[in-house]
Amino acid sequence: MSEIFSSLLSGFAAALVPVNLMWGFVGCLLGTAIGVLPGIGPALTVAVLLPITAKVEPTGALIMFAGIYYGAQFGGSTTSILLNTPGESSSMVTALEGNLMARHGRAGPALATAAIGSFVAGTFATVLLTFFAPFVANVALKFGPAEYFTILVFAFTTVSAVLGASMVRGLVSLGMGLAIGLIGLDSISGAARFTGNIPELLDGIEVVLVAVALFAVSEALYSVLFPANEDFGQHKMTSLWMTKADWKRSVPAWLRGTAIGFPFGSIPAGGAEIPTFLSYSAEKKLCKHPEEFAANNGKGAIEGVAGPEAANNASVTGSLVPLLTLGIPTSATAAILLAAFQNYNLQPGPLLFQTSGDLVWALVASLYIGNVILLVLNLPLVGLWVKLLAIPRQYLSAGILVFATIGVYGMRQSAFDLLLMLGIGWVGVAMRRFDFPIAPVIVGMLLGPMAEKQLRNALMISEGKWTVFLTQPICAAVLLLTFAMLVVPAILRRRGMSLGEDD
Amino acid sequence: MINQRALQGGTALFVAAVGTILAVGAARLPAEKGYSILGPQVFPFAVATLLIVLAAVLAIQASRAPVKQSSDVESQPTGARAGAAWLTAGLVAVAALINVVGFVLASALLFTMAARGFGSKSPVRDLAIGISLVLPVYWLFTAGLGVSLPPLLNAWI
Repeated sequence: MSEIFSSLLSGFAAALVPVNLMWGFVGCLLGTAIGVLPGIGPALTVAVLLPITAKVEPTGALIMFAGIYYGAQFGGSTTSILLNTPGESSSMVTALEGNLMARHGRAGPALATAAIGSFVAGTFATVLLTFFAPFVANVALKFGPAEYFTILVFAFTTVSAVLGASMVRGLVSLGMGLAIGLIGLDSISGAARFTGNIPELLDGIEVVLVAVALFAVSEALYSVLFPANEDFGQHKMTSLWMTKADWKRSVPAWLRGTAIGFPFGSIPAGGAEIPTFLSYSAEKKLCKHPEEFAANNGKGAIEGVAGPEAANNASVTGSLVPLLTLGIPTSATAAILLAAFQNYNLQPGPLLFQTSGDLVWALVASLYIGNVILLVLNLPLVGLWVKLLAIPRQYLSAGILVFATIGVYGMRQSAFDLLLMLGIGWVGVAMRRFDFPIAPVIVGMLLGPMAEKQLRNALMISEGKWTVFLTQPICAAVLLLTFAMLVVPAILRRRGMSLGEDD
Repeated sequence: MINQRALQGGTALFVAAVGTILAVGAARLPAEKGYSILGPQVFPFAVATLLIVLAAVLAIQASRAPVKQSSDVESQPTGARAGAAWLTAGLVAVAALINVVGFVLASALLFTMAARGFGSKSPVRDLAIGISLVLPVYWLFTAGLGVSLPPLLNAWI
């Protein structure tokens, strides 16, 4: 315990060095901006900025990337409340309830409860991360290939079966991602697989390329082909002050949201969507003023903003637990953060806390600092952020495409990669059109090769006995959990989804 | 006018096709194992099986889908396809030209064509905005971040 405190203190010492503080500030600023802007998310932003890993030392760069990651969640709530344009599915609930409050002249308290709730949840979740992550890392030190393989299977199942509209569609996306991950040289035998004799494919396809293609390029193409009827009725800002009653109703909702969000983020299940919906339906049940909720044609209930926003932020912080301790990313942004670590020849996993403890603790400390920076940046400057939306749509989208090409071309100066990006972008358009989720593709292509390697190593060690996955207690437990994850979310989802039917 | 059932059937066919390609490709891989128990073909076979099974499920779902005419396509504004074509052409152009005319001009061209695709009607102004956006970005990325992007104009000029 005291060990954790002293590590954290030295982490603060490293994160508070002016240069690192500057990187954290830049990250939070960028993150908020892209959270506010439609069509550009944290995955693309970190992908475009990955090249800085060649110049900036790891602590500074990773502090900035982390700032972008959770800063985007802060920024997203602002536009949801004021403009009813949720950037991601996880801020859909905020758009529902918060925008309703804004329409009834309570934009200020909605923004305040979202921002303060994000701060409270982010800070509490970071405290949990501080004490939980070293413990997980210690346990994970004993994991062998068999344990890793079952954990990866667990991650696959949950990411594809829990997210998205249907399990089949999620699994199709996952399968496509696994297929893309197969392209290139086999890491164990060295055989070239599915390269079609194209030399550019021997190294495999970069996860950054696929992420940029599926998020930025397909988003641009899709928004041209199927423009959303944007209801850009912007609502007047009001005083940000929350009344005593607002505080009384928000605080418990923040805490419940944190309690729901963090565990969902930290199991390799990914996605902030489920916890936000769960938190919303919990608040709706517990609230003493059910008539205020959107479902009852109310004026917008403050709990419906406070809880889900807290859950959202807590799950984002929680998702750093599997990333740092097991090397398993559970969201597209986390996958690109993993790529950033790998650019520095750092392999996230249980050993990271021993080999690069300084860096990990500086990163954790920067999360505490970043939450404070974001609170300061967001509330007083909310008017400024909204002005960002004055950028004409065509220039914003064209600019995003330019940045997408920089990100992809900058990796290895290959024009072939740009065409590949375009092709995958069109596949992404079809996926959006037919409701196939995108995150499982990214997770599949990144974790697929890992899973294959661990499976083959596990069988090498067990001399070909497949029973190893059932006889080793941890493996058996994880597989059992995987099975539970397939069944339980179906039940939870039915509850969460009933929300849509009420409206 | 799009037949919902035909669309879903098409999706199932596509998934089945990817699965088949994987299976055929895996069958042609050398099956020698060396020290490992599983050769390089086993995991691809597993993924192929997963995809083909899922394609079958999608096909069953498609056969149960109502033969309803989707009205979504009508809501597409005129010029939506032309817009997507402009974006596609812009990205092809940047891929073809970036090694010839350099990063700044190629990206500015992409910016102009994409803005056109999103409905802008003043290409000259767009080009000017594009260049004034791309130049500082070029400077920032090459000088500040050490990314190597092809120079403003190639040496032959």
